[in-house]
Amino acid sequence: MAKAKSTAKSTKAKPKAKSKAKSTKAKSTKAKRTTKKKAPPKPKLAFYWAASCGGCEISVVELGLRLVETGELVDIVFWPCLMDFKYSDVEALKDGEITACFFNGAIRNSEGEHIAKLLREKSQLLIAFGSCSHTGGIPGLANFYDAESILERVFDTVPSLDDSRGTRPTKTTKVPEGKIEIPTFYDQVKTLAQTVKVDYYMPGCPPVVDQIWNVFQALLAGQIPEKGAVIGADAKTNCDVCPREKGGSSQRVKEWKRPHEVELDPDVCFLTQGVICCGPATRAGCGLPCISGNMPCRGCYGPPDDVVDQGAKLLSAIGALVDTDDPEVLGQILDTIADPAGTSYRFGLANSVLSELKYK
Amino acid sequence: MSHTEAAETFADRVRAIPGGEHLEMCYSCGTCVSKCMIQQKIEPEYNPRRLLRLVMMGLEEEAFQSPTTWLCSECDLCYPACPQEIHISGVISAIRQLAIEVGYESPLDTVSVDEAKCSGCGICVMVCPYEAPHLIEKEIDGQMDRVSEVDPNICRGCGTCVAACPLGAIAREGVSNAEIYKQIKIKKQNGVPRLVVFVCDWCLRADDDVTLLESYPENVRVIHIPCSGRIDPEMALRALRSGIDGVLVCGCAPGECHFKRGTQVSSCKIDLLNRVFDQMNMNDGRVRFAQIGTQDRGRIRGEVDGMLEHLVAWKEAR
Repeated sequence: MAKAKSTAKSTKAKPKAKSKAKSTKAKSTKAKRTTKKKAPPKPKLAFYWAASCGGCEISVVELGLRLVETGELVDIVFWPCLMDFKYSDVEALKDGEITACFFNGAIRNSEGEHIAKLLREKSQLLIAFGSCSHTGGIPGLANFYDAESILERVFDTVPSLDDSRGTRPTKTTKVPEGKIEIPTFYDQVKTLAQTVKVDYYMPGCPPVVDQIWNVFQALLAGQIPEKGAVIGADAKTNCDVCPREKGGSSQRVKEWKRPHEVELDPDVCFLTQGVICCGPATRAGCGLPCISGNMPCRGCYGPPDDVVDQGAKLLSAIGALVDTDDPEVLGQILDTIADPAGTSYRFGLANSVLSELKYK
Repeated sequence: MSHTEAAETFADRVRAIPGGEHLEMCYSCGTCVSKCMIQQKIEPEYNPRRLLRLVMMGLEEEAFQSPTTWLCSECDLCYPACPQEIHISGVISAIRQLAIEVGYESPLDTVSVDEAKCSGCGICVMVCPYEAPHLIEKEIDGQMDRVSEVDPNICRGCGTCVAACPLGAIAREGVSNAEIYKQIKIKKQNGVPRLVVFVCDWCLRADDDVTLLESYPENVRVIHIPCSGRIDPEMALRALRSGIDGVLVCGCAPGECHFKRGTQVSSCKIDLLNRVFDQMNMNDGRVRFAQIGTQDRGRIRGEVDGMLEHLVAWKEAR
């Protein structure tokens, strides 16, 4: 089996052999005498996508042949993106029968909530996989609005729409085969952990393939981290591994620019170039694909430990870098930040204190 | 001790450091002292006029031990007032530099960096009004790592870096995150709005204003911070989440900040937070920043009462 490139370690990983295999071995002494040693049952794996783009699945598939190897070691019992499964297949499982479920996507509607609860019951370990599931991700940005204003925009006022009948989706529709129902569209996008109890969080939009491999290998080797841990990522933030030259007090910011408005020096910290980079408030572990591509960090790996609200922390850092004593100029400098909320809460809005306050 | 011999050399040495040049233009009028918040608020012995005189008299040890050498925060309120146009904080910095060279240490409460947490992002380096932090390469747990190191002789303990640090890797005793969060608690008040007032130690010049704040009932929790730059938006959000109705941050007027740029940093953050509230369509004016100038005696009452009135109206409208 190919050894994983250990580009990053899973945080708080504690080797602790889970003795699932042992208990089945001790189960029947009769069987031992009459038959040859039976191979322990393979761990059962499930993958699901709720409100997500499919990028997380692509990242898993990127494992390539390593995925085939993994596939031989486990039983995939549910993975609607790749194989044909029905809800009834999950419903037929016993509680806790799934060893580990990797759940990507935020919880956006009643269907997502239902399947999240179902998979929670059926799984020993539930892993919030990817930004949307971990912190709400891009779908979480819908929390800027409520359900009604989104529906109004999409079905009534969007300029590309030509519908004089004012069609809106209805909860139930009669078709020749009977009645069909669509899920309820919620006001608030929630993270998986805001919906059910989550055992581990694996950040990233999407989680990078090497980290996925590290986590698979660790779990298959029985290295079960402490409950509640963020896995497949580092403890510190992106700046810890970012090789760019950092700034000093002379490089405070008099104007914020968007990446396309400036020729970016690839060797110097984005912030000192007046471009907002979410790196200082974002957990490391991605291997810096954006930053190596000369684009600032967008924040998908979520906040480091002990930070409750990633966006607010980023605002705190950005705000402190602005350089002027004139209140009027200060306003003008802040005007150059095109979208403060979207920039600082790009992946973390659903998980933020801000969102909590809105839906309180 | 031979004062006559040291006299020339010490004053010369101070003058030789950039900022120290204008030492001897001082004719000891004391206008600087009348402007100084430190003398009024924390240290009656604090006296720039006297310190400059000590230097001119060659009293080196006395000058190094004087609280004036260490407490000056370079706010420069005295600078425009000096009839001789002496940049007094520049002279004091020169004296301080000489004191540090011979082994004196700053007696101020300063910040400390948790190296195990620090990611070396350098935000603190860019933020600090005094250039106290810098990044160093250091072996931590057997690995070379880039972390921030704060020079305790330069740090004034304003806490602006503590708030700006995105990981919470910097702390200052007395005003660490944990200690502040412990104070952000107000019992339910039967419909009366609950207000947290963060007040910087320097913006209230008059004792009356400080005592006035103490006279508010339980629904107003006053939290003293060294500088409004210590506030971060997460604090305001978490206060609101805990059920507190409003957050008022009071800092110095622009250009009068005791720690040079703390008030600017804080107004920037509160402004950004309100812009985010606007975008979320939830700006109820419940987080405000008041910049109180040296001439604004009595204004704090209006700010707090105004905020409470606003919160009453907000609660009724809900």
